[in-house]
Amino acid sequence: MKYVLALCGLLLFGCSSKESAEKPKIAVVISTLNNPWFVVLGESAVKNAEKLGYEAKLFDSQNNPATESDHFENLISSGFDAILFNPTDADGSIANILKAKEAGIPVFCMDREVNSNDAATSQILSDNYTGCVAIGVEFVKQLHGKGNYVEILGLAGDNNTYARSNGFHTVVDKFKGLKMLGQQNGDFDRNKAMEVMESMMQANPDLQAVFCGNDAMALGAYQAIQSAGKSQQIKVFGFDGADEVVQKIKEGKIVATGMQYPKIMAKTAAEFAVEFFKGRKDFPQHIPMAVNLVNSKTAKHY
Amino acid sequence: MISSSILKKSQSLIALLLLMIVLSIVTDKFLTAGNLWNVLRQISVNMCLSIGMTLVILTAGIDLSVGAVLGLSGAICAGLLKSGISIPAMDLWIGFTVLGAIVAAITVGTALGLFNGWVITRFSVPPFVATLSMLTVARGLTFLYTQGQPISDLGANFEKIGAAWFLGVPVPVWISALFILVFYVLTTKTSLGRFIYAIGGNEKAAQVSGVPIQKVKWIVYALSGAMAAIGGVLVTSRLNSAQPNAGINYELDAIAAIVIGGTSLSGGQGSVKGTIIGAILIGVLNNGLVLLNVSPFWQQVVKGLVILLAVIVDKMNQKAK
Repeated sequence: MKYVLALCGLLLFGCSSKESAEKPKIAVVISTLNNPWFVVLGESAVKNAEKLGYEAKLFDSQNNPATESDHFENLISSGFDAILFNPTDADGSIANILKAKEAGIPVFCMDREVNSNDAATSQILSDNYTGCVAIGVEFVKQLHGKGNYVEILGLAGDNNTYARSNGFHTVVDKFKGLKMLGQQNGDFDRNKAMEVMESMMQANPDLQAVFCGNDAMALGAYQAIQSAGKSQQIKVFGFDGADEVVQKIKEGKIVATGMQYPKIMAKTAAEFAVEFFKGRKDFPQHIPMAVNLVNSKTAKHY
Repeated sequence: MISSSILKKSQSLIALLLLMIVLSIVTDKFLTAGNLWNVLRQISVNMCLSIGMTLVILTAGIDLSVGAVLGLSGAICAGLLKSGISIPAMDLWIGFTVLGAIVAAITVGTALGLFNGWVITRFSVPPFVATLSMLTVARGLTFLYTQGQPISDLGANFEKIGAAWFLGVPVPVWISALFILVFYVLTTKTSLGRFIYAIGGNEKAAQVSGVPIQKVKWIVYALSGAMAAIGGVLVTSRLNSAQPNAGINYELDAIAAIVIGGTSLSGGQGSVKGTIIGAILIGVLNNGLVLLNVSPFWQQVVKGLVILLAVIVDKMNQKAK
């Protein structure tokens, strides 16, 4: 009964909160909650906003710019005062940010960038490209510049997929001894990556390494390699810094990953929103967050 | 004349053989024992989903919830194995053995399927709508249960279900073969099988002739849910981890296997045998495209066209009859 009453209250009075000069409300809009990494990003943003004393609510755009657009319209009309934002698309999301800007609501981008320098109030971005350049360097070192490898890309049409792959290849492609024998999509999905890896090992029995566009896929690829009894032969490289992968690096099962900091990005964005409420207006447009290389030597620090 | 009707009946088998011949010619990696076991192991999950859903589609229904039910039952299996159930109020903790966790997962899948069947028969909700709602609910419950995070490291015994070999054959292949046999016998040799075809052919006529329509529908949706749960256990075991997004879009692969196998979406026509060939064909296609390192963009185009072609050929044959 209590819940029913609360629900009625929400329906009746939800829209009137703007006029009653309450504490500002913060919305967290995340590209997708289908991926554990983004769940961490979104939940940390909500927790940080709440810790700073503000009401915060989480929205899932389901990787769909149209859903994201609906969220923005609802947020603007229901009186949210700041948006911590993880965009679905570097170009497609700009219009949504501009809608909020017009309504006087600041937008702070987290992790993923939009291709505009005057839409968002500030963008706190994970440097996927440079992070994967570092992975590429480690890759070359571990293989001594020689060997056959395959790459498991993320999702077709996703910005980070290409930022990561391009960063990796700027280094690795300079070494003629390193031959890429296959390049397939794993959709950032553990099971898909496992199946793709199983087939690629059949096509190319003489593999020395695999580079995966995220850690979920690295874990899937590792599972396939282990089942095939090739864990001594094929070196696995990932990206993200998932706990499970850091653990496997310590155990010597996976070679390296790039550590991203979703919690720090979320915290910075929440703090910026609060500073905005207090009157600060001079935010830097881009705040790059370094991605750190995790390998067997550095894993103990994480 | 007889030979041409046999030809028509086994068109999907011919398509599969043709595809396999082409693949063996263009790459020497396809027709190896290692790769073929690989393909059979990979399709075992879709095989479970699609033979389960075949019964539903034979009654002129559909089950869009199988992927989501797979995700939820896999997560529950992993969660129970890893941490059991604790009831702090009673200071009670219940641990689960591998078998216990699997039984629990299958119970959940069956219960969700029964719920589908109940909604469809009791309130006359179209199966498309009822199972679409279940898809969303089950996916949401999976995220709630897992908090959006994978549940990993489930122990060596559980991992064996997906990874081990028995008498030279991977265990998931044994499991799917067992259920193929069960569902084949069920559809061809039992009165339940006859009822299923009767309902799909003409529901009113079936009712008049005394087929217990409500009961049969409950059973087919429950079986579809149970098979989705078994698929969930297999995926979870193969990865040694339950992923909150496991099974997304799997219903589409299952429907594709059924349709390629010649089962009509309007019910009454088709067979478990056809579905098996459909599932193998999709598996071989997926494997072949990766072996040949075909661009992922083209892979989607090719797969879509193959499904379309299969249905067109089927329609043309039906007209010819």
